Amino acid sequence: MRRQTLIAALGIVWTILYAAFVVWLYTTAPRTLREAATQASATVGAYEIDQARFDAAHELFRREQYRAAREEWARADPAGRDARTQFYLAYAFYREGWGHIYNDDALFKQGIEAADRAILLSSERALMIDDPELQIHSAAELKAELQQGTERSLRDLNPLKVLRERK
Amino acid sequence: MSGSDDNSNSATTAQRAINGALVRFLVLPTIFLSVVLLGGVRVDALTHALVFVPPPLVTLVLAVLLLTLCVRARLIDWRSWLAAELPPLANAAHALTLLTLFFASAQAFNAVLPERGWLRWLLASFFFWTLWQNQFSAFDANRLLRSLAALFGTAFAIKHLLIANLYAPGGGWAQRVAGALFEGFTQGTIGAPETFAPATGYVAFFALALYVAGLILLPAAPDADVEEPPRVHEVVEAYRQLTVTERDAVRFVVLTEGQARLDGERLPLTQALPIDAQLDDDERPLT
Repeated sequence: MRRQTLIAALGIVWTILYAAFVVWLYTTAPRTLREAATQASATVGAYEIDQARFDAAHELFRREQYRAAREEWARADPAGRDARTQFYLAYAFYREGWGHIYNDDALFKQGIEAADRAILLSSERALMIDDPELQIHSAAELKAELQQGTERSLRDLNPLKVLRERK
Repeated sequence: MSGSDDNSNSATTAQRAINGALVRFLVLPTIFLSVVLLGGVRVDALTHALVFVPPPLVTLVLAVLLLTLCVRARLIDWRSWLAAELPPLANAAHALTLLTLFFASAQAFNAVLPERGWLRWLLASFFFWTLWQNQFSAFDANRLLRSLAALFGTAFAIKHLLIANLYAPGGGWAQRVAGALFEGFTQGTIGAPETFAPATGYVAFFALALYVAGLILLPAAPDADVEEPPRVHEVVEAYRQLTVTERDAVRFVVLTEGQARLDGERLPLTQALPIDAQLDDDERPLT
């Protein structure tokens, strides 16, 4: 009888764990097994970005290869869980989409999404990036800049607008 | 001799109880949760990415009807599974097992229903009508299992063999013509075909096979195959105490009465006993 009680207890624990795994899988919906493993490590707090890929992407960013830099950052942070990487992604969208006469709205909108992710991931403490090559150092400021770039106003008709500089 | 037989029977009964507990508390939930996991998995034909489809509402309704049918066909005796006489832990574990059966049923339907369009609602209606009609039919557990195997098998063939091949990429001209005719016949209401890789059919097949295996392993009552009915045990013990002649008489009565019941007659006991069994009864019983 004691064995049956033990088996019943084990069965309850096992069933709950397996059911939780199935629910997690359907909630996160990974597209590949590797993505599932990445999300699992992110869930348990063991997630780390690929620093080598991050540095390579940063080098591409400095050389103004923004699209390649974004792809490399996406590989460095496949789960999209690193606030710093999302900030740089947003900055790459900003720099590529910025124009003297008009801005690329599609790129700016993607930049806003990336800035939102960076803000969300740094909810405990405001994200500040200490990079001398950047003129915007916080995710909130970057998001504001991106949002201004997508807004339509009478200031867009100002001819002196072409003299402004990219940050 | 009878003492060692008792010990052997006790050991067998104890082993049966443990095996039964392992099946009810570990094996069955694992099987059914695996069906829940695999029943909603699709593999995209172009990117080979995994797609997870949770059970839609219609499959939950169908699962309720199916479980009701299982109870009516006595495939599940729910009063034995959730009984006041059982310990709380056993009741909780049984409840979890039945819950996994419910969701596995929903995902089994999810695996064989088309993803969208007119054909999806046609098959869902077909399932609903069949399950609803069967509520009023006489079913036993074996018949129900065979009926379910046919039901799921037919739907599987329609979805993963017929429709999947009509819309599979890279098909020949005959396939394209058949697909165009089918699309025209249904006036394009099949829905934008989500092309899935052939692996989807294999996953669905495996999920359905697991589901049927789980149903076969599922005992009607938790201890149905563990303990012999007490009356049988008493009768067998009493039989062992009889003399040789008495045993012959009992066997004669049982066989004769059995044949008489088949013929629609009922014999009185004195008529059934042979004459020597009625006169001689002074031999010692065998031990």
